[in-house]
Amino acid sequence: MLIEEVRAFQRLGLRHVLLQVLSFASVISSGLMIWKGLAIITSCESPIVVVLSGSMEPAFHRGDLLFLTQDSSEQYKTGDIAVYKIPGVDIPIVHRVLETHDVPPTIDIRRYTRSMTQPEPSANVDSSEQYSQLLLTKGDNNSVDDIVIYRGLEWLERKHIVGKVRGSLPYVGYVTIAMHSLPKQLSSARERAFGKSKSPRSPTTRTHRDGGS
Amino acid sequence: MARTKAAAPSTSSEKARSPSPDPADRPLGPLAVTVPASEREEVKVNNANMTELKNACDDAVKRFLSRPELFKQIYLHTDVRLALGWLSVFVAAGTAFYGYKVDFEKSKPVVTIGLIVYILLTITSTLYAYFIEGDTIFVGKRKTFSKRVSFTVELERITLSSSTIPVSKSSSSPSYSVALHYVRSTNGGKTLLGRGRTKGAAPYTKFFDDKGVMHQEAFEKWVGGLVETSMDGKAA
Repeated sequence: MLIEEVRAFQRLGLRHVLLQVLSFASVISSGLMIWKGLAIITSCESPIVVVLSGSMEPAFHRGDLLFLTQDSSEQYKTGDIAVYKIPGVDIPIVHRVLETHDVPPTIDIRRYTRSMTQPEPSANVDSSEQYSQLLLTKGDNNSVDDIVIYRGLEWLERKHIVGKVRGSLPYVGYVTIAMHSLPKQLSSARERAFGKSKSPRSPTTRTHRDGGS
Repeated sequence: MARTKAAAPSTSSEKARSPSPDPADRPLGPLAVTVPASEREEVKVNNANMTELKNACDDAVKRFLSRPELFKQIYLHTDVRLALGWLSVFVAAGTAFYGYKVDFEKSKPVVTIGLIVYILLTITSTLYAYFIEGDTIFVGKRKTFSKRVSFTVELERITLSSSTIPVSKSSSSPSYSVALHYVRSTNGGKTLLGRGRTKGAAPYTKFFDDKGVMHQEAFEKWVGGLVETSMDGKAA
């Protein structure tokens, strides 16, 4: 098969091959640019996310697509649905804001957080007029707030927030879930076929824990 | 002499203004060059797909006219599209990579610039393909030693554009329409020797059988006839 390709390449010439590869590469690059463009417009690192767990039912179900925006000067209010990322955890979590505390700029916010992160040099020179915020979140379908998920933090800070949810589409997110779980399903099927011993932590409990149910 | 009257024929009049010039007077036409049957590769397409039919015909024209004794293809349009396209791919890749490596907030200005450059390149490429390239499928030139005057070089330039005429009231099958523009000059392009504009259309059924195999000799004969008509200076 490779020989045929090489012969075709010689016959058709370099330009033809370059054109073919270009049409493939330009599809990928236009997808990339659309994603980046969306991120710039919404000013949000990850403007579209997929709900993985059922902790926000009945508002959002697993497999829903969420559209986020982020405005650094925005004050979050109780009732907003926010997506946040705990440092050290890969997967962002989407829950509702339960409490907000506005800390005036004259006070160092780190007094109120058991933050593990290094102090930022700009924290004391913060001359912005706005107040910085401390947030507490909770999933609608959960019985307790998210303190356990914060892994030692007492409050969420604005810098942990990826964005605020503006809209959603049901079911579309299953495409992404399928794409991510397919390798795992394939490897676990392979394990079963070849009789490999199961690892103590199976994939299902991991996603539940990180999804914050 | 019949030759001087044929030097500047009308480009759009229906009747030929001059008696046809001696075929030996003008450079080799495509019909005079034959291709041995063993060199042909079978071309088979999906009969129902108009895009495939047109592309097969376009490719056949390019193969036909770029044979060694005939025209040499000028790749200007292709190269411009390739250059703009690959440049935009690299800009996109660079921007995405930068956005991946650097923190989101800090990377925003550079990513925005990269995005704008990408959009501009894409728009330029699209406009070029639509307005400047248009329907053109082949641009070729040829330099031959003049038969009339010794030691001069004649330069010919041929441009072919093609389109598909879809099914309409007058025809029951889609047709392949070809428009040719041929210019023959000498003295570095300063002296015009001949010019021809030809148009022709034929239904696809003439060249493709019901299985989708292309009858290349018939197609080449038709196209060659149109090219030679153009070279002779007659408006078809």
